[in-house]
Amino acid sequence: MLHYVTINIDGADIKAPKGSSVLEVAIEYGICIPHLCHVPGLSDIGACRLCIVENVTNGRAAVTTSCTLKVQEGMTIRSNTDRIKRLRHNIAELLVAQAPNSRAIQDIAVRCGVKKVRYPFRNDNCVLCGRCVRACAELWHANALGFVGRGKERHVERPLNMREEFCKGCDYCIQLCPMTITPCDGPMKTGEEYLCGKCESQLMITEEVPDSCAWCRLGEGFNCGRYAGLKAVR
Amino acid sequence: MKSLQLESILKGRSSQPHQLIEVLQDVQENYGYIPEEAMREISKRLGVPLIEVYRVASFYKAFKLKPSGKYVVTICNGTACHVRGANLLLDQAVSQLGINPGEVTDDGLFSIEHVNCLGACALGPIASENGNLGHHMTPAKLRKFIDSIRLKEREEVQNASPQH
Amino acid sequence: MPRLNTKEDLEIMGKQLLFDRGKVNKTLIICGGTGCKASRSQEVIDAINQELLMQEMDSEVHLRVTGCHGFCEQGPIAVIEPGNIFYCHITADDARDIVTKTLKNGEVIDRLLYTDPVSGKKIRTESEIPFYQAQDRQLLFQNREVNPRSIEDYIAIGGFSALAKAIDSLAPEEIIRSIKTSGLRGRGGGGFATGRKWDECREAPSDEKYVICNADEGDPGAYMDRCLLEGNPYLVLEGMLIGAYAVGATKGYIYVRNEYPLAVKHARNAVQQARKLGILGEDILGSSFSCDVEVARGGGAFVCGESTALMASLEGKVGEPRPKDVHTVVDGLWHKPTTLNNVETWANIPSIILNGANWFASKGTKGSKGTKILALTGRIKNTGLVEVAMGTTIRHIVFDIGGGATNGKAIKAVQTGGPSGGCLPIDKFDLPVDFDVLYEAGSMVGSGGMVVMDESSCMVDVAKYFLTFLQDESCGKCVPCRLGIDRMLEIVTDITEGRGTLEQLDLLEELADTVTQTALCGLGKTAANPVLSTLRYFRDEYKAHITDNKCPAGVCKALIEYSIDPEKCTGCGTCKRACIHSAISGEKKEVHVINTELCQKCGICMSECKFEAIQVS
Repeated sequence: MLHYVTINIDGADIKAPKGSSVLEVAIEYGICIPHLCHVPGLSDIGACRLCIVENVTNGRAAVTTSCTLKVQEGMTIRSNTDRIKRLRHNIAELLVAQAPNSRAIQDIAVRCGVKKVRYPFRNDNCVLCGRCVRACAELWHANALGFVGRGKERHVERPLNMREEFCKGCDYCIQLCPMTITPCDGPMKTGEEYLCGKCESQLMITEEVPDSCAWCRLGEGFNCGRYAGLKAVR
Repeated sequence: MKSLQLESILKGRSSQPHQLIEVLQDVQENYGYIPEEAMREISKRLGVPLIEVYRVASFYKAFKLKPSGKYVVTICNGTACHVRGANLLLDQAVSQLGINPGEVTDDGLFSIEHVNCLGACALGPIASENGNLGHHMTPAKLRKFIDSIRLKEREEVQNASPQH
Repeated sequence: MPRLNTKEDLEIMGKQLLFDRGKVNKTLIICGGTGCKASRSQEVIDAINQELLMQEMDSEVHLRVTGCHGFCEQGPIAVIEPGNIFYCHITADDARDIVTKTLKNGEVIDRLLYTDPVSGKKIRTESEIPFYQAQDRQLLFQNREVNPRSIEDYIAIGGFSALAKAIDSLAPEEIIRSIKTSGLRGRGGGGFATGRKWDECREAPSDEKYVICNADEGDPGAYMDRCLLEGNPYLVLEGMLIGAYAVGATKGYIYVRNEYPLAVKHARNAVQQARKLGILGEDILGSSFSCDVEVARGGGAFVCGESTALMASLEGKVGEPRPKDVHTVVDGLWHKPTTLNNVETWANIPSIILNGANWFASKGTKGSKGTKILALTGRIKNTGLVEVAMGTTIRHIVFDIGGGATNGKAIKAVQTGGPSGGCLPIDKFDLPVDFDVLYEAGSMVGSGGMVVMDESSCMVDVAKYFLTFLQDESCGKCVPCRLGIDRMLEIVTDITEGRGTLEQLDLLEELADTVTQTALCGLGKTAANPVLSTLRYFRDEYKAHITDNKCPAGVCKALIEYSIDPEKCTGCGTCKRACIHSAISGEKKEVHVINTELCQKCGICMSECKFEAIQVS
C-alpha cells in the first residue's frame, strides 16, 4: 500500500509517494530540474549537484540535491530561484569546460543558461557521473567497473586494469554514458574546443514556461529522467 | 611463504566485508605494498567484489600498489612545516635521488613520500625515514643523511662479496 | 589486577594507589610523546634508568614517562618533584648529572634550565614558565600526572570516578541536560552543541546505537588530539563511556588516523586494561550498563575526518561522504543512531560530570564555553600546545604565550582552523577565540590549529598551498569540489606565476561562493575559506601579483630573482656545493654569481649561506 505525503514545489501542492525523492516527484509532475547523474531505477548519489533546490525550513533555505532528498509531509521546495539558477549555471559551466566533447554536456550547459565559458577548455572523456558504475553494480551485479583513485586521480576502471571475466556484455554502461554522442558538428580536437550553444532553438518553449518539462530535444540528448524513465531500463 | 602470511592475516575474517581496511593494513605492513594476488584472495575470502578491494586500496594513502624502496624518505608538508620551508627539503630529495614522490630509485634503495602532516608540528620541518623522525631538518642535513645511507649500503655490498 | 565490581571498589583502589604514590617522595617526570621522541627522549629515558640502577636509587625515585606536555620545541623535557624543577633540551649525557646532582643532592643544574626568550632570564620551576602560566591547562596538566601505559596512574588521580558517579547516581537525561547547560560545543571543528547532539541521538529509536571518537585529526599543523590520546587515553575513554551511557549505546569505536602509531598503541592498551578491570565490557562496575570499545585505524585520508566518511571507513569502504539530509545521530554507522565526537570533546566530559555544568560554563564567552587546546606553531618564539579559556584574544596567544616574532621579522597573519579555516591579519588580533566571532570574521576555531605567519609568507601562496592540499584530499565524487577546487587552484597558480588578470579575481570569488554553497560535504563547503579570507584581508597582495607583477613577500618563484650580494659574499663556496641545479659559479675566495637562467629559485642556497649574502628581489 503506497502512502502519500503532500509537498510544495514552486508553489504547487503535489501528492508524492513516501520514499520517493523530490527530483523523482518533480519530473513525474512535469517540473524540469536539470540533472545528470540521476537515472531512474539506479541509486542516487548526488554527485553532479545540478539538481540542487532550496529546501525551506523555519524560514531558512538550505541548498541540497533533490535526488537525495526524500519527500516529507509539508516540505517546501523552490527549484528555480535566482540563486539556484546562478549556482546551476556555474556548475554546468565547470562541466562543459571540463568535457565539451559531449552533446549531452553541451545541451545541459545551454539548458542551464551558460552563454560563455570563463575557464580554459579541457578535453576529458569522462565526467565521473557514475552512471556506468552504478548500472554495472546494481542492474546485473557484475561489478566489472568501478571508481578507482581519489580526487583528481579518480577515474573509472576495470578491476586491476585488466579485462576480467566479470563483464556480462549487457552494454548498459555504453548506453547510459553521456559522453558517447559527440556534438552535432563532430568531435572537438584538443585546443579547438568551444561552447556549442546551437540547441538554444530547442529551448524556445521552455523559456516561456521555464520550469515545466517540454519534452525538449535537450532532455532526449542527455537522457534526462523523463526520457530515461520511458526506456524501461529495469 | 607469501601465501602463509596472507593466510594468517585472513584467518577468522572470512565473509566479513567490513574488515577490508584492517586486512589491507596488515597486508601493507607485512609485504610493504598490496600485491595483486593478495587483492584477488582478499576478494574471494572476504566476499567483496574485486573492484571494491582495488577501489579501497587505491583510495587510501596508507596502501601502496607498488613496492617501496628499502629506505622511505618521508617529507612532511603540513602547514607549520610548509611555513618553515618544507619545499626546500622536497627539492633536495627529488634532486639528490633523481625520482619524484611515489617513485623508487633504480637500485631499489630509496623512495620519497610527501605526506600531509606527521603531527610533530612544533619541530618542523620534518623529514622521516622509516618511522624515525628528524626534526628542524635542513637541505644540508638531508643531503648528509642520504649520502650516509648510500655509503653504508655500498660498504655492506662490498663486505658481502668476498671476491672482487 | 582484580576486577572492580562496584563504585566503592574503584574508590578504595584509587585511595590505595594515591597512598602508594606518596610513599616515594622523589619523582622524575620525562615526556615520552612523539615530539620529544623525535628529539631523542628515549635515549634520555634509557640513560636515566641505567643511572638510577647503577646508583641504586631506583626504589627512591619514581620515573614517570608521560605523554606530551605541549612544549615540544624545548624537548626533551623533564620535571623533578619535589621542587618542581624544569629541565629542557636534555641529552643522554645529562643523565648522570640529573640523578647525582638534582635527585640525590637537590642541586639545580643551571645549564639545563629554560631561558625565557622574551626576558632572557633562566627559569627554575615549571610553574614559573610564562608559556605555561599564561594558559589554563585543565586537560593538558593531567598529561604530566599519568603514564599513558598505566591505568593505575589514572585511577590514582581520581580517574573513572566521573563514570562511576554517572552510572551510579545520574540518569541519562540528567547527564544530557548537564552537558547542554555547560554549553560544550564540538572541539573537532564543527562547533556543534554537544548536548543537543546527544539528545537527538537518545531520542532516535533503535535497538543498537554507537559512539565514535574521531581521532582522525587531519588538519596539518594540528596535533592536540594526538597529545590527548597518546598522553591520557583513559580520559578520552571515560568521556566516551559516559556518553554511551547517556545516549544508550553499547558499542564504541576510537578511529585513529594511520599516521599516529603511538596513539593507536596507547589507545588499544588502555582498552585492554580497562576491560580487565571491569571498567569496560559487560556490567561496568557491577551495574547493568554494558559497553565495549574497539580501536580502528584510518587508511590515510583527510576526508575521513568528516563524520559520514569516517563511518564509511569503519564499515570497510572508501571514505566518501554521503549527503546529510538525515543526520548521523539518527542514521549513522551501519545506519544506526551514532554519536560522533572529537577526542577533545570527549576529554572534557568527565570534569563536567564531576565539577558540574556551571563550573564549565563559568569560563569562556557567551557562545563558547570552557577551554580549548590550540596548536600554536609557525614563526614565533614559543611553539607548542596551548590550552586557554575561550574568549582569550589572538594577540594574547601570539605575543604573550607565543613570545612574539622569531627572526626579527614582522608578524603578518595567523591562520586558524586548518584548511577549512582562514587567515586573519594582525589588525584583527584583538578578536577572541570564539566559535561565532571567528566565523563572522571569515575564519574559524576549527580543531585548534593556529599557524603564525610573518612577512616571509606570501598570502597568495598560502591560498595556493591549501587549495593544493584540498585537491589532493578531495574524494572526487562531487563536481563543485573536484572541478571547483581544481579551477580555483588554476586561477591562483596563474596569479602566482604572473599571468593573472583582475577579472580572474572576480571569477575566483564567484567560483569560491559556488563551491561553498553546492558542495556535498564539509570538505568542499569550507574549501574556499582560505581563498575567501585572503581575498578579503590581503587583496593588495593579489593585486600586486597581477598589476605590478611582484610578489611582496618574495616567495612566488616566477616573480622573484635570486642574486648574490658582492659586498657580503666571502667566496666560501657553500652555495655552489649546495645548489642542486648547478646554477652558481665562482672560484674560491672570489665573489660567486648566480646564473638566473639556470636558477630554479628553490631557496636552498639562501638557507645555507652563513653570511646572508644571498638576496631575493
